[in-house]
Amino acid sequence: MSNALVQIDSLCIDVKVTRTRRLTIVNSATFDVHPGQLLGLIGESGSGKTMLCRSLVGTLHRRGAYINSGSLTFNGIDLIKATPKEWRDIRGKEIGYIPQSALAGPNPVMTIGAQMAEAIQLGEKMDKSVVRKRAIELLEIVQIRRPEIVLKQYPYELSGGMKQRVMIACAIAREPKLIVADEPTTGLDVTVQAEIMQLLKQIRKDLNTAIILVSHDLPLINEVCDDIVIMHAGSTVEKIPSANIERTRHPYTEALYKSRIDLVEPRGKLITIKGQPPTVGDWPTGCRFAGRCDYAKPGCSADVEIPSIKIGPNHLTSCIRQAEIWGK
Amino acid sequence: MNLLEAFDVSVTFKAFGYEVQAVKNVDFVLPQGKVVGIVGESGSGKSTFARVLTGLQEPTGGYVTYLGAPIQDGKEIYKGELRKAVQMVFQDPYSSLNPRMRIINAVAEAVRVHQNPNKAEAQQIALDLLKRMGISEIDAFKYPSSLSGGQRQRASVARALSVQPKILIADEPTSAIDQSAQSQLLELFSELIKDGLSIVLVSHDLGVIRYLTDNVYVMQNGEFVETGSSSKIFESPSNAYTQKLISSIPSSGKK
Repeated sequence: MSNALVQIDSLCIDVKVTRTRRLTIVNSATFDVHPGQLLGLIGESGSGKTMLCRSLVGTLHRRGAYINSGSLTFNGIDLIKATPKEWRDIRGKEIGYIPQSALAGPNPVMTIGAQMAEAIQLGEKMDKSVVRKRAIELLEIVQIRRPEIVLKQYPYELSGGMKQRVMIACAIAREPKLIVADEPTTGLDVTVQAEIMQLLKQIRKDLNTAIILVSHDLPLINEVCDDIVIMHAGSTVEKIPSANIERTRHPYTEALYKSRIDLVEPRGKLITIKGQPPTVGDWPTGCRFAGRCDYAKPGCSADVEIPSIKIGPNHLTSCIRQAEIWGK
Repeated sequence: MNLLEAFDVSVTFKAFGYEVQAVKNVDFVLPQGKVVGIVGESGSGKSTFARVLTGLQEPTGGYVTYLGAPIQDGKEIYKGELRKAVQMVFQDPYSSLNPRMRIINAVAEAVRVHQNPNKAEAQQIALDLLKRMGISEIDAFKYPSSLSGGQRQRASVARALSVQPKILIADEPTSAIDQSAQSQLLELFSELIKDGLSIVLVSHDLGVIRYLTDNVYVMQNGEFVETGSSSKIFESPSNAYTQKLISSIPSSGKK
Protein backbone atom coordinates (compact mmCIF):
# COMPACT_ATOMS: atom_id res chain seq x y z
CA MET A 1 0.00 0.00 0.00
CA SER A 2 1.42 3.30 -1.03
CA ASN A 3 -0.10 5.51 1.67
CA ALA A 4 1.64 3.65 4.49
CA LEU A 5 3.83 5.64 6.86
CA VAL A 6 6.20 2.79 7.60
CA GLN A 7 6.79 -0.15 5.30
CA ILE A 8 8.80 -3.05 6.56
CA ASP A 9 9.35 -5.84 4.09
CA SER A 10 11.19 -9.11 4.87
CA LEU A 11 13.56 -7.23 7.12
CA CYS A 12 16.52 -9.23 8.36
CA ILE A 13 18.74 -8.00 11.20
CA ASP A 14 22.09 -9.60 12.04
CA VAL A 15 24.28 -9.06 15.06
CA LYS A 16 28.07 -9.32 15.17
CA VAL A 17 29.01 -11.86 17.83
CA THR A 18 32.73 -12.08 17.09
CA ARG A 19 34.86 -10.76 14.26
CA THR A 20 33.66 -13.43 11.88
CA ARG A 21 30.55 -14.88 13.51
CA ARG A 22 27.15 -13.40 12.69
CA LEU A 23 23.80 -14.28 14.21
CA THR A 24 20.46 -13.54 12.61
CA ILE A 25 18.10 -12.19 15.25
CA VAL A 26 15.27 -10.89 13.10
CA ASN A 27 14.38 -12.50 9.84
CA SER A 28 11.44 -11.90 7.55
CA ALA A 29 9.63 -9.21 9.51
CA THR A 30 6.92 -7.73 7.31
CA PHE A 31 4.26 -5.14 8.16
CA ASP A 32 3.02 -1.62 7.40
CA VAL A 33 1.99 1.20 9.70
CA HIS A 34 -0.51 3.82 8.53
CA PRO A 35 -0.78 7.41 9.78
CA GLY A 36 -2.72 7.55 13.02
CA GLN A 37 -2.72 3.80 13.46
CA LEU A 38 -2.18 2.20 16.86
CA LEU A 39 -0.32 -0.99 16.15
CA GLY A 40 0.56 -3.59 18.77
CA LEU A 41 3.70 -5.69 18.40
CA ILE A 42 3.73 -8.76 20.56
CA GLY A 43 6.13 -11.65 21.11
CA GLU A 44 8.04 -13.58 23.75
CA SER A 45 11.37 -12.38 25.11
CA GLY A 46 14.06 -12.92 22.51
CA SER A 47 11.65 -12.80 19.58
CA GLY A 48 13.31 -9.65 18.21
CA LYS A 49 10.73 -7.01 19.14
CA THR A 50 13.23 -4.57 20.63
CA MET A 51 15.68 -4.95 17.74
CA LEU A 52 12.92 -4.18 15.29
CA CYS A 53 12.16 -1.01 17.25
CA ARG A 54 15.80 -0.05 17.26
CA SER A 55 15.94 -0.36 13.49
CA LEU A 56 13.21 2.31 13.34
CA VAL A 57 15.22 4.80 15.38
CA GLY A 58 18.58 3.97 13.81
CA THR A 59 20.33 2.77 16.95
CA LEU A 60 21.03 -0.79 15.89
CA HIS A 61 24.77 -0.24 15.48
CA ARG A 62 25.10 0.61 19.17
CA ARG A 63 24.44 -3.04 19.92
CA GLY A 64 26.66 -4.30 17.09
CA ALA A 65 23.66 -5.11 14.93
CA TYR A 66 22.93 -4.14 11.34
CA ILE A 67 20.28 -4.66 8.68
CA ASN A 68 21.34 -7.46 6.42
CA SER A 69 18.53 -7.53 3.87
CA GLY A 70 14.97 -6.47 3.24
CA SER A 71 13.57 -2.98 3.05
CA LEU A 72 12.54 -0.39 5.61
CA THR A 73 10.99 2.87 4.49
CA PHE A 74 9.51 5.69 6.51
CA ASN A 75 7.40 8.28 4.73
CA GLY A 76 9.11 7.39 1.48
CA ILE A 77 12.65 7.64 2.91
CA ASP A 78 14.81 4.52 2.78
CA LEU A 79 15.95 4.20 6.39
CA ILE A 80 18.56 1.57 5.58
CA LYS A 81 20.56 3.95 3.42
CA ALA A 82 19.96 6.99 5.65
CA THR A 83 23.16 8.83 6.62
CA PRO A 84 23.79 10.07 10.17
CA LYS A 85 22.84 13.56 8.98
CA GLU A 86 19.53 12.34 7.60
CA TRP A 87 18.92 10.39 10.80
CA ARG A 88 19.25 13.60 12.81
CA ASP A 89 16.31 15.02 10.89
CA ILE A 90 14.21 11.91 11.46
CA ARG A 91 15.02 10.79 14.99
CA GLY A 92 13.00 12.78 17.50
CA LYS A 93 11.44 15.02 14.88
CA GLU A 94 9.65 12.42 12.78
CA ILE A 95 9.96 9.31 14.91
CA GLY A 96 9.72 9.51 18.70
CA TYR A 97 10.97 6.70 20.90
CA ILE A 98 9.82 5.66 24.36
CA PRO A 99 12.43 3.26 25.75
CA GLN A 100 11.73 0.02 27.54
CA SER A 101 12.78 0.84 31.05
CA ALA A 102 10.91 3.77 32.57
CA LEU A 103 13.02 3.65 35.66
CA ALA A 104 16.36 3.83 33.86
CA GLY A 105 15.22 5.97 30.94
CA PRO A 106 15.94 9.51 32.17
CA ASN A 107 19.52 10.65 32.77
CA PRO A 108 19.99 10.58 36.57
CA VAL A 109 22.33 13.57 36.73
CA MET A 110 20.21 15.99 34.69
CA THR A 111 17.11 17.80 35.84
CA ILE A 112 13.88 16.96 34.06
CA GLY A 113 13.87 20.48 32.61
CA ALA A 114 17.34 20.08 31.08
CA GLN A 115 16.45 16.74 29.50
CA MET A 116 13.23 18.05 28.10
CA ALA A 117 15.05 21.05 26.68
CA GLU A 118 17.33 18.64 24.80
CA ALA A 119 14.35 16.78 23.40
CA ILE A 120 12.64 20.01 22.38
CA GLN A 121 15.67 21.72 20.80
CA LEU A 122 17.39 18.69 19.24
CA GLY A 123 20.52 20.74 18.70
CA GLU A 124 18.75 23.79 17.29
CA LYS A 125 19.04 27.26 18.80
CA MET A 126 15.88 28.35 20.57
CA ASP A 127 14.94 31.02 23.02
CA LYS A 128 15.10 29.78 26.62
CA SER A 129 11.67 31.06 27.55
CA VAL A 130 10.14 29.38 24.49
CA VAL A 131 11.72 26.07 25.44
CA ARG A 132 10.51 26.40 29.02
CA LYS A 133 7.00 27.25 27.94
CA ARG A 134 6.91 24.27 25.61
CA ALA A 135 8.27 21.96 28.35
CA ILE A 136 5.52 23.03 30.73
CA GLU A 137 2.94 22.58 28.00
CA LEU A 138 4.21 19.04 27.31
CA LEU A 139 4.15 18.09 30.98
CA GLU A 140 0.57 19.29 31.12
CA ILE A 141 -0.31 17.10 28.13
CA VAL A 142 1.05 14.05 29.96
CA GLN A 143 -0.96 15.10 33.03
CA ILE A 144 1.85 15.89 35.44
CA ARG A 145 0.71 18.17 38.22
CA ARG A 146 2.82 21.23 39.15
CA PRO A 147 5.05 21.11 36.02
CA GLU A 148 7.11 24.15 37.14
CA ILE A 149 8.37 22.20 40.16
CA VAL A 150 8.92 18.95 38.24
CA LEU A 151 11.17 20.78 35.74
CA LYS A 152 13.66 21.48 38.53
CA GLN A 153 13.58 17.95 39.93
CA TYR A 154 15.93 15.03 39.26
CA PRO A 155 14.64 11.61 38.10
CA TYR A 156 15.18 9.98 41.52
CA GLU A 157 12.59 12.35 42.96
CA LEU A 158 9.86 11.06 40.64
CA SER A 159 7.85 7.85 40.79
CA GLY A 160 8.03 5.23 38.02
CA GLY A 161 4.77 6.37 36.46
CA MET A 162 5.91 10.01 36.43
CA LYS A 163 9.25 9.10 34.84
CA GLN A 164 7.42 7.23 32.12
CA ARG A 165 5.19 10.27 31.56
CA VAL A 166 8.29 12.45 31.22
CA MET A 167 9.71 10.00 28.65
CA ILE A 168 6.44 10.21 26.72
CA ALA A 169 6.56 14.00 26.91
CA CYS A 170 10.08 13.92 25.43
CA ALA A 171 8.96 11.57 22.67
CA ILE A 172 6.09 13.82 21.58
CA ALA A 173 8.07 17.07 22.01
CA ARG A 174 8.39 17.65 18.25
CA GLU A 175 5.01 16.14 17.34
CA PRO A 176 6.48 13.19 15.45
CA LYS A 177 4.47 11.26 12.90
CA LEU A 178 5.36 7.96 14.58
CA ILE A 179 5.99 6.97 18.19
CA VAL A 180 7.72 3.69 18.97
CA ALA A 181 6.83 2.65 22.52
CA ASP A 182 8.96 -0.31 23.59
CA GLU A 183 7.15 -1.98 26.52
CA PRO A 184 6.25 1.36 28.10
CA THR A 185 4.45 -0.13 31.09
CA THR A 186 6.57 -3.15 32.00
CA GLY A 187 7.33 -2.91 35.70
CA LEU A 188 4.60 -0.38 36.43
CA ASP A 189 1.46 -1.05 38.43
CA VAL A 190 -1.80 -1.98 36.69
CA THR A 191 -3.48 1.26 37.74
CA VAL A 192 -0.59 3.31 36.32
CA GLN A 193 -0.55 1.13 33.22
CA ALA A 194 -4.21 1.90 32.57
CA GLU A 195 -3.49 5.64 32.87
CA ILE A 196 -0.48 5.51 30.50
CA MET A 197 -2.53 3.60 27.90
CA GLN A 198 -5.29 6.20 28.16
CA LEU A 199 -2.68 8.89 27.62
CA LEU A 200 -1.22 7.21 24.52
CA LYS A 201 -4.71 6.87 23.04
CA GLN A 202 -5.39 10.57 23.74
CA ILE A 203 -2.10 11.62 22.05
CA ARG A 204 -2.96 9.55 19.02
CA LYS A 205 -6.37 11.21 18.85
CA ASP A 206 -5.09 14.77 19.28
CA LEU A 207 -1.97 14.65 17.10
CA ASN A 208 -2.93 11.85 14.67
CA THR A 209 0.34 10.13 15.54
CA ALA A 210 0.90 6.53 14.53
CA ILE A 211 2.01 4.45 17.52
CA ILE A 212 3.81 1.12 17.58
CA LEU A 213 3.17 -0.37 21.00
CA VAL A 214 5.46 -3.25 21.92
CA SER A 215 4.48 -5.63 24.68
CA HIS A 216 4.30 -9.26 25.67
CA ASP A 217 0.91 -8.77 27.25
CA LEU A 218 -1.73 -9.92 24.74
CA PRO A 219 -4.84 -8.84 26.72
CA LEU A 220 -3.39 -5.33 27.01
CA ILE A 221 -2.49 -5.05 23.33
CA ASN A 222 -5.83 -6.48 22.33
CA GLU A 223 -7.69 -3.92 24.39
CA VAL A 224 -5.73 -0.85 23.26
CA CYS A 225 -4.60 -1.42 19.67
CA ASP A 226 -6.31 -1.40 16.26
CA ASP A 227 -4.09 -4.05 14.74
CA ILE A 228 -1.77 -6.63 16.22
CA VAL A 229 1.46 -7.99 14.76
CA ILE A 230 2.61 -11.21 16.37
CA MET A 231 6.30 -12.14 16.36
CA HIS A 232 7.81 -15.52 17.07
CA ALA A 233 11.51 -16.35 16.87
CA GLY A 234 12.52 -13.35 14.78
CA SER A 235 9.75 -13.34 12.22
CA THR A 236 6.29 -11.82 12.09
CA VAL A 237 3.87 -14.72 12.03
CA GLU A 238 0.55 -12.89 11.80
CA LYS A 239 -0.96 -9.46 11.38
CA ILE A 240 -4.57 -9.27 12.49
CA PRO A 241 -7.10 -6.55 13.42
CA SER A 242 -7.63 -6.79 17.18
CA ALA A 243 -11.39 -7.10 16.73
CA ASN A 244 -10.82 -10.33 14.80
CA ILE A 245 -8.43 -11.92 17.27
CA GLU A 246 -10.79 -14.84 17.79
CA ARG A 247 -10.67 -15.61 14.08
CA THR A 248 -6.89 -15.99 14.08
CA ARG A 249 -5.25 -18.02 11.35
CA HIS A 250 -2.03 -18.89 13.12
CA PRO A 251 -1.58 -21.61 15.77
CA TYR A 252 0.84 -19.44 17.80
CA THR A 253 -1.65 -16.57 18.10
CA GLU A 254 -4.36 -19.05 18.94
CA ALA A 255 -2.23 -20.60 21.67
CA LEU A 256 -1.30 -17.17 23.07
CA TYR A 257 -4.92 -16.11 23.07
CA LYS A 258 -6.15 -19.27 24.70
CA SER A 259 -3.42 -19.37 27.34
CA ARG A 260 -4.73 -16.15 28.88
CA ILE A 261 -5.64 -16.75 32.48
CA ASP A 262 -8.56 -14.36 32.69
CA LEU A 263 -10.56 -16.74 30.50
CA VAL A 264 -10.38 -19.81 32.73
CA GLU A 265 -12.18 -20.61 35.94
CA PRO A 266 -10.03 -20.39 39.06
CA ARG A 267 -7.72 -23.45 39.21
CA GLY A 268 -9.22 -24.64 35.94
CA LYS A 269 -7.23 -26.30 33.18
CA LEU A 270 -4.80 -23.83 31.67
CA ILE A 271 -3.81 -24.09 28.06
CA THR A 272 -0.06 -23.90 27.86
CA ILE A 273 2.25 -23.59 24.89
CA LYS A 274 4.58 -26.52 25.18
CA GLY A 275 8.34 -26.16 25.14
CA GLN A 276 10.51 -23.09 24.77
CA PRO A 277 10.88 -20.71 21.83
CA PRO A 278 13.82 -21.81 19.64
CA THR A 279 17.09 -20.10 20.55
CA VAL A 280 18.62 -17.48 18.29
CA GLY A 281 21.17 -19.06 15.96
CA ASP A 282 19.51 -22.45 16.32
CA TRP A 283 16.32 -21.85 14.38
CA PRO A 284 14.82 -24.87 12.65
CA THR A 285 14.09 -24.79 8.94
CA GLY A 286 10.62 -24.02 7.68
CA CYS A 287 8.06 -22.86 10.25
CA ARG A 288 9.86 -22.06 13.50
CA PHE A 289 6.77 -22.68 15.58
CA ALA A 290 6.36 -26.23 14.23
CA GLY A 291 8.20 -27.77 17.21
CA ARG A 292 5.64 -26.33 19.64
CA CYS A 293 2.57 -26.51 17.41
CA ASP A 294 -0.30 -28.95 17.99
CA TYR A 295 -1.21 -28.98 14.29
CA ALA A 296 2.31 -29.49 12.94
CA LYS A 297 2.96 -32.09 10.26
CA PRO A 298 6.32 -33.09 8.78
CA GLY A 299 5.72 -30.76 5.83
CA CYS A 300 5.82 -27.73 8.13
CA SER A 301 9.53 -28.12 8.74
CA ALA A 302 10.49 -28.45 5.08
CA ASP A 303 13.37 -26.17 4.12
CA VAL A 304 11.35 -23.60 2.19
CA GLU A 305 10.60 -19.94 2.59
CA ILE A 306 7.33 -19.50 4.54
CA PRO A 307 5.09 -17.18 2.51
CA SER A 308 2.80 -14.50 3.89
CA ILE A 309 -0.80 -15.46 3.09
CA LYS A 310 -3.43 -12.77 2.77
CA ILE A 311 -6.70 -13.67 4.52
CA GLY A 312 -8.57 -10.37 4.64
CA PRO A 313 -7.93 -6.67 4.00
CA ASN A 314 -5.75 -6.31 7.09
CA HIS A 315 -5.04 -9.89 7.93
CA LEU A 316 -1.83 -11.71 7.01
CA THR A 317 -0.68 -15.07 8.30
CA SER A 318 2.37 -17.20 7.72
CA CYS A 319 0.88 -20.57 8.57
CA ILE A 320 1.03 -22.68 5.43
CA ARG A 321 -1.63 -25.03 6.74
CA GLN A 322 -4.15 -22.37 7.77
CA ALA A 323 -6.73 -23.38 5.13
CA GLU A 324 -6.44 -27.01 6.22
CA ILE A 325 -6.89 -26.14 9.92
CA TRP A 326 -9.55 -23.46 9.82
CA GLY A 327 -11.15 -24.04 6.43
CA LYS A 328 -11.79 -21.39 3.82
CA MET B 1 -5.93 -24.96 62.97
CA ASN B 2 -4.37 -22.05 61.19
CA LEU B 3 -0.98 -22.79 59.78
CA LEU B 4 0.43 -19.29 59.89
CA GLU B 5 -0.95 -16.29 61.71
CA ALA B 6 0.27 -12.73 62.10
CA PHE B 7 -0.90 -10.49 64.94
CA ASP B 8 -0.58 -6.72 64.82
CA VAL B 9 2.64 -6.84 62.78
CA SER B 10 4.45 -3.56 62.04
CA VAL B 11 7.73 -2.92 60.28
CA THR B 12 9.47 0.43 60.53
CA PHE B 13 12.61 1.22 58.57
CA LYS B 14 15.01 3.86 59.78
CA ALA B 15 17.25 5.64 57.31
CA PHE B 16 19.09 8.96 57.58
CA GLY B 17 17.01 10.06 60.55
CA TYR B 18 13.71 9.35 58.78
CA GLU B 19 11.31 6.67 59.85
CA VAL B 20 9.22 4.87 57.27
CA GLN B 21 6.45 2.59 58.42
CA ALA B 22 6.26 -0.02 55.66
CA VAL B 23 3.74 -2.30 57.38
CA LYS B 24 1.24 -0.89 59.85
CA ASN B 25 -0.37 -3.14 62.49
CA VAL B 26 -1.69 -5.87 60.23
CA ASP B 27 -3.33 -9.20 61.08
CA PHE B 28 -3.09 -12.14 58.70
CA VAL B 29 -4.25 -15.77 58.60
CA LEU B 30 -3.12 -18.64 56.39
CA PRO B 31 -5.40 -21.67 56.94
CA GLN B 32 -4.09 -25.20 56.31
CA GLY B 33 -4.10 -26.17 52.63
CA LYS B 34 -5.31 -22.80 51.37
CA VAL B 35 -3.83 -20.24 49.01
CA VAL B 36 -3.86 -16.67 50.24
CA GLY B 37 -3.03 -13.76 47.97
CA ILE B 38 -1.66 -10.36 48.87
CA VAL B 39 -2.22 -7.67 46.22
CA GLY B 40 -1.23 -4.03 46.12
CA GLU B 41 0.86 -1.65 44.08
CA SER B 42 4.60 -1.20 44.35
CA GLY B 43 5.65 0.37 47.62
CA SER B 44 2.55 -0.78 49.47
CA GLY B 45 4.55 -3.11 51.74
CA LYS B 46 3.58 -6.51 50.30
CA SER B 47 7.15 -7.77 49.90
CA THR B 48 8.18 -6.54 53.34
CA PHE B 49 5.25 -8.39 54.88
CA ALA B 50 6.12 -11.56 52.92
CA ARG B 51 9.66 -11.32 54.27
CA VAL B 52 8.27 -11.08 57.81
CA LEU B 53 6.27 -14.28 57.24
CA THR B 54 9.38 -16.03 55.94
CA GLY B 55 11.45 -14.81 58.86
CA LEU B 56 13.87 -12.83 56.70
CA GLN B 57 12.70 -9.59 58.27
CA GLU B 58 12.21 -9.11 61.99
CA PRO B 59 8.99 -7.19 62.70
CA THR B 60 9.34 -4.06 64.85
CA GLY B 61 5.94 -4.74 66.41
CA GLY B 62 3.61 -7.72 66.74
CA TYR B 63 4.47 -11.36 66.12
CA VAL B 64 3.90 -14.31 63.76
CA THR B 65 2.85 -17.79 64.86
CA TYR B 66 3.28 -21.13 63.12
CA LEU B 67 0.72 -23.73 64.30
CA GLY B 68 0.01 -21.55 67.31
CA ALA B 69 3.60 -21.12 68.47
CA PRO B 70 5.56 -17.90 67.86
CA ILE B 71 8.16 -18.31 65.12
CA GLN B 72 10.63 -16.15 66.98
CA ASP B 73 12.45 -17.60 69.98
CA GLY B 74 14.80 -15.04 71.43
CA LYS B 75 17.02 -13.93 68.57
CA GLU B 76 16.33 -16.92 66.38
CA ILE B 77 13.49 -17.03 63.86
CA TYR B 78 12.24 -20.47 62.72
CA LYS B 79 14.54 -22.48 64.94
CA GLY B 80 15.78 -25.92 63.87
CA GLU B 81 13.21 -28.14 62.18
CA LEU B 82 10.77 -25.25 61.86
CA ARG B 83 12.97 -23.60 59.29
CA LYS B 84 12.08 -26.27 56.75
CA ALA B 85 8.39 -25.52 57.11
CA VAL B 86 8.39 -22.19 55.31
CA GLN B 87 10.20 -21.64 52.01
CA MET B 88 10.27 -18.73 49.64
CA VAL B 89 10.33 -18.21 45.87
CA PHE B 90 11.69 -14.83 44.90
CA GLN B 91 10.57 -12.30 42.35
CA ASP B 92 13.52 -12.26 40.00
CA PRO B 93 14.62 -15.66 38.65
CA TYR B 94 17.63 -13.97 37.07
CA SER B 95 19.21 -13.05 40.39
CA SER B 96 17.97 -15.70 42.81
CA LEU B 97 20.08 -18.58 41.46
CA ASN B 98 23.85 -18.69 41.90
CA PRO B 99 25.23 -18.08 38.39
CA ARG B 100 28.30 -20.23 39.08
CA MET B 101 26.41 -23.31 40.22
CA ARG B 102 24.74 -25.84 37.95
CA ILE B 103 20.97 -25.97 38.51
CA ILE B 104 21.13 -29.49 39.92
CA ASN B 105 23.81 -28.53 42.44
CA ALA B 106 21.84 -25.49 43.55
CA VAL B 107 18.91 -27.75 44.39
CA ALA B 108 21.07 -30.57 45.77
CA GLU B 109 22.75 -28.11 48.14
CA ALA B 110 19.44 -27.43 49.87
CA VAL B 111 18.75 -31.17 50.07
CA ARG B 112 22.17 -31.86 51.60
CA VAL B 113 21.90 -29.12 54.21
CA HIS B 114 18.52 -30.26 55.48
CA GLN B 115 18.47 -34.04 54.94
CA ASN B 116 22.14 -34.95 55.15
CA PRO B 117 22.31 -37.68 52.51
CA ASN B 118 25.49 -38.39 50.56
CA LYS B 119 26.28 -36.48 47.41
CA ALA B 120 24.93 -39.02 44.92
CA GLU B 121 21.64 -39.40 46.81
CA ALA B 122 21.21 -35.64 47.06
CA GLN B 123 21.76 -35.31 43.32
CA GLN B 124 19.20 -38.02 42.65
CA ILE B 125 16.60 -36.32 44.88
CA ALA B 126 17.32 -33.00 43.18
CA LEU B 127 17.03 -34.55 39.73
CA ASP B 128 13.67 -36.16 40.54
CA LEU B 129 12.37 -32.85 41.85
CA LEU B 130 13.54 -30.93 38.80
CA LYS B 131 11.94 -33.51 36.50
CA ARG B 132 8.66 -33.08 38.38
CA MET B 133 8.95 -29.34 37.77
CA GLY B 134 9.36 -30.01 34.06
CA ILE B 135 13.12 -29.52 33.76
CA SER B 136 14.82 -32.27 31.76
CA GLU B 137 17.96 -34.07 32.87
CA ILE B 138 19.97 -32.26 30.20
CA ASP B 139 18.80 -28.85 31.39
CA ALA B 140 19.38 -29.76 35.04
CA PHE B 141 23.13 -29.93 34.41
CA LYS B 142 23.25 -26.50 32.79
CA TYR B 143 24.12 -23.20 34.41
CA PRO B 144 21.30 -20.70 35.11
CA SER B 145 22.53 -18.45 32.29
CA SER B 146 21.56 -21.02 29.66
CA LEU B 147 17.98 -21.42 30.89
CA SER B 148 14.99 -19.22 30.14
CA GLY B 149 13.29 -17.13 32.82
CA GLY B 150 10.44 -19.62 33.17
CA GLN B 151 12.80 -22.57 33.56
CA ARG B 152 14.80 -20.68 36.17
CA GLN B 153 11.68 -19.84 38.11
CA ARG B 154 10.68 -23.53 38.09
CA ALA B 155 14.18 -24.42 39.31
CA SER B 156 13.66 -21.92 42.18
CA VAL B 157 10.40 -23.66 43.04
CA ALA B 158 12.20 -27.02 42.97
CA ARG B 159 14.82 -25.66 45.35
CA ALA B 160 12.15 -24.33 47.71
CA LEU B 161 10.29 -27.67 47.67
CA SER B 162 13.43 -29.77 48.21
CA VAL B 163 12.99 -29.64 52.00
CA GLN B 164 9.30 -30.60 51.83
CA PRO B 165 7.95 -27.35 53.26
CA LYS B 166 4.39 -26.94 54.52
CA ILE B 167 4.16 -23.37 53.24
CA LEU B 168 5.49 -21.75 50.11
CA ILE B 169 5.75 -17.97 50.06
CA ALA B 170 5.96 -16.73 46.49
CA ASP B 171 6.84 -13.06 45.99
CA GLU B 172 5.72 -12.03 42.48
CA PRO B 173 6.74 -15.36 40.95
CA THR B 174 5.30 -14.58 37.52
CA SER B 175 6.09 -10.91 36.99
CA ALA B 176 9.48 -11.41 35.31
CA ILE B 177 8.54 -14.19 32.87
CA ASP B 178 6.68 -14.56 29.58
CA GLN B 179 3.04 -15.45 29.26
CA SER B 180 3.59 -19.02 28.05
CA ALA B 181 6.08 -19.65 30.87
CA GLN B 182 3.63 -18.08 33.29
CA SER B 183 0.88 -20.55 32.49
CA GLN B 184 3.32 -23.44 32.85
CA LEU B 185 4.29 -22.16 36.30
CA LEU B 186 0.68 -21.61 37.38
CA GLU B 187 -0.23 -25.12 36.33
CA LEU B 188 2.63 -26.39 38.46
CA PHE B 189 1.33 -24.38 41.42
CA SER B 190 -2.19 -25.75 41.09
CA GLU B 191 -0.76 -29.28 41.11
CA LEU B 192 1.18 -28.51 44.28
CA ILE B 193 -1.99 -27.12 45.88
CA LYS B 194 -3.78 -30.38 45.10
CA ASP B 195 -0.98 -32.17 46.94
CA GLY B 196 -1.79 -30.12 50.04
CA LEU B 197 0.76 -27.32 49.95
CA SER B 198 -0.31 -23.98 51.45
CA ILE B 199 0.81 -20.93 49.52
CA VAL B 200 1.06 -17.22 50.22
CA LEU B 201 1.09 -15.52 46.82
CA VAL B 202 2.22 -11.92 46.60
CA SER B 203 1.46 -10.28 43.28
CA HIS B 204 0.18 -7.21 41.56
CA ASP B 205 -1.16 -9.32 38.69
CA LEU B 206 -4.83 -9.71 39.55
CA GLY B 207 -5.34 -12.36 36.90
CA VAL B 208 -2.88 -14.65 38.68
CA ILE B 209 -4.48 -13.86 42.04
CA ARG B 210 -7.97 -14.62 40.77
CA TYR B 211 -6.80 -17.89 39.24
CA LEU B 212 -4.99 -19.34 42.25
CA THR B 213 -6.14 -17.92 45.55
CA ASP B 214 -8.89 -18.78 48.04
CA ASN B 215 -8.59 -15.60 50.11
CA VAL B 216 -7.23 -12.20 49.19
CA TYR B 217 -5.75 -9.37 51.23
CA VAL B 218 -5.61 -6.00 49.46
CA MET B 219 -2.76 -3.85 50.70
CA GLN B 220 -2.39 -0.09 50.41
CA ASN B 221 0.18 2.07 52.20
CA GLY B 222 1.13 -0.73 54.59
CA GLU B 223 -2.41 -1.60 55.65
CA PHE B 224 -4.89 -4.24 54.56
CA VAL B 225 -7.80 -2.21 53.20
CA GLU B 226 -9.95 -5.15 52.18
CA THR B 227 -9.97 -8.85 53.02
CA GLY B 228 -12.20 -11.66 51.92
CA SER B 229 -12.66 -14.72 49.78
CA SER B 230 -11.24 -14.24 46.33
CA SER B 231 -14.58 -14.72 44.53
CA LYS B 232 -16.26 -12.10 46.72
CA ILE B 233 -13.51 -9.54 46.20
CA PHE B 234 -13.50 -9.95 42.43
CA GLU B 235 -17.28 -9.90 42.09
CA SER B 236 -18.22 -7.17 44.54
CA PRO B 237 -15.25 -5.19 45.78
CA SER B 238 -16.37 -2.76 48.50
CA ASN B 239 -13.23 -0.67 48.90
CA ALA B 240 -12.63 2.17 46.41
CA TYR B 241 -8.99 1.20 45.90
CA THR B 242 -9.87 -2.44 45.19
CA GLN B 243 -12.46 -1.31 42.64
CA LYS B 244 -9.86 0.81 40.88
CA LEU B 245 -7.40 -2.11 40.82
CA ILE B 246 -9.95 -4.49 39.34
CA SER B 247 -11.14 -2.06 36.69
CA SER B 248 -7.54 -1.58 35.49
CA ILE B 249 -7.11 -5.22 34.46
CA PRO B 250 -6.90 -5.35 30.67
CA SER B 251 -9.31 -7.84 29.23
CA SER B 252 -10.23 -8.40 25.63
CA GLY B 253 -13.89 -8.85 26.48
CA LYS B 254 -14.62 -5.15 26.95
CA LYS B 255 -13.43 -2.36 24.70
